[in-house]
Amino acid sequence: MHKSISSKIFDVVNIVFLLLIVVSMIIPFLNVAALSFSSNLASMSSSIILWPKEFSIEGYKTVWDRLDLWLPFLNSSIVTVVGTVMHVLLSATAAYVLIQPGLPGKRFLVSSILLTMMVPHEAIMIPLYIVNKDLGLINSLYALIISGVVSGFSILLLRNFFQQVPYEMSESAKIDGAGELRIFLTMYLPLAKAGLATVTLFEFVSRWNQFMAALLFINDQSKYTLQLALKALIIDTDSTSSNFLMTTNVRMAGVVIALIPLLLIYPYVQKYFVKGIMVGANKE
Amino acid sequence: MNVIKRYSTLYLMMLPILLYFIIFTYYPLLRGLIMSFQQFRLIGDTPFIGLDNYLKVLRDPFFYDVLKNTLQIGGGILIVGFVAPIVMALLLNEIAQRKFKKIIQMVIYLPHLFSWVVIGGIWIFMLSPDGGVVNEILLALGNDRPIHFLSSEAYAKWVMIFSASWKEMGYICILFLASIVSINPSLFEAARIDGANRWQLVRRITLPALYSTMKVVLLLNMMSILRMFDQIFIMRNPAIAKYVDVIMVYTYEKGIMEFNMGVATAASFIVIGMTFILTLLTRIVIRYDN
Repeated sequence: MHKSISSKIFDVVNIVFLLLIVVSMIIPFLNVAALSFSSNLASMSSSIILWPKEFSIEGYKTVWDRLDLWLPFLNSSIVTVVGTVMHVLLSATAAYVLIQPGLPGKRFLVSSILLTMMVPHEAIMIPLYIVNKDLGLINSLYALIISGVVSGFSILLLRNFFQQVPYEMSESAKIDGAGELRIFLTMYLPLAKAGLATVTLFEFVSRWNQFMAALLFINDQSKYTLQLALKALIIDTDSTSSNFLMTTNVRMAGVVIALIPLLLIYPYVQKYFVKGIMVGANKE
Repeated sequence: MNVIKRYSTLYLMMLPILLYFIIFTYYPLLRGLIMSFQQFRLIGDTPFIGLDNYLKVLRDPFFYDVLKNTLQIGGGILIVGFVAPIVMALLLNEIAQRKFKKIIQMVIYLPHLFSWVVIGGIWIFMLSPDGGVVNEILLALGNDRPIHFLSSEAYAKWVMIFSASWKEMGYICILFLASIVSINPSLFEAARIDGANRWQLVRRITLPALYSTMKVVLLLNMMSILRMFDQIFIMRNPAIAKYVDVIMVYTYEKGIMEFNMGVATAASFIVIGMTFILTLLTRIVIRYDN
């Protein structure tokens, strides 16, 4: 195809501009990674570092062993894994119930779930704190697992996937004497793998990053999640801090450690995220 | 009775989910509403005091500061965080090399994946007046002294708007790209044969095709304005609190830090009311449009 000169100029400008955007996205992370692998002293110098200066893993050793970041890492892992598994199972269960034709009270169930999506958790944080306190859940990881253990969004998303499974299949299974639970576990769950993967990934990311619930329900340092520990490490202390352990490489090592699980699942996230959000958004 | 029996397994399956919503959404909502009319005390009785808590909120000058901040920062994000991804998606769509396009998509999506603690921490660090990357670049470009981005009134709000837009740009951009890809290619072919240039293709075919995604994005962003919390709570500091604190931060400070739970719940019910009206309005506008 013939291209005019102005069109070619546009192409060049466009590529340069997009490269600049990409650079603005990469530099912060490169800077963090490079600093985390620099020595204590080199990381404190004020120059832009995009490659480790005096390569060392001192930062990681300090943050993991001496500042005990392994403990919040463990807490976050427990909350994320247990919370995600429960979230997916419960949301799928609700989704399965809500696709049953002729279930008395279905409309009521659907609208009471839709209504919960209108109430942002942030807006009820004070009463939520009180409820958790009354239940004795303050300073317990259970509070974090329970917070958002099922959500209207995931239920609707999975319901969309389940609706694509032909209902005749479960009908003939019922005639053969299979119970609801068995149909749900052995027919619907395996057939809606893509939906389950989407919800799992969504939930994994948001649990790992969960901040407000942890801030509200956890005060005890031994129960800190990674996000709380990171806030204390990289935001509440600055370079003028009197704590000799808090050199820049140590703080940046903390950031990198928090990113690793997310980077590991990133390739899968890309595959499912768009699909998930579009399905969810169209449903609203 | 027969019906209940027939469906008993299904109802049983639904029970834990309903219990969760009742205990952790509906009950707190009701409890909060009651608390907002009570004088909160840790021990002893909590007498009803009518609208006192609401009046306290409405008479607090700081509440109007946070309301203004919420609308300004939220409005900024609504505009910048809406236009930037569209422009980005259109430009990205003009790139012919598929590999390059893929790589850009992968990179710009990254910040969406990370928590505000990480993103906020990185930006505080990047914008730091001593040795932060941004200031180093500005100094190299001839700025004579470092800018205190996160302790000056002039910059604080913009930092919040741009860091939020920066974080979510890639994610929203990919939503737009997805709907660009689903446009029927023969439309472009036909227009090209009729002699349309690239700008006309964008203006007449691509942009109109993005219309429904635009509505979804706008609705999602609109809903998130009033619930903004993590970002501000993490990036604020005493020097700029007055200019960046948003309503949810106010609620947290009043309720959890000052233990003034009656006033805090009153403030959050004002927000819930506003969210409700905003949602209703947006829905009406979008319906009307259809």
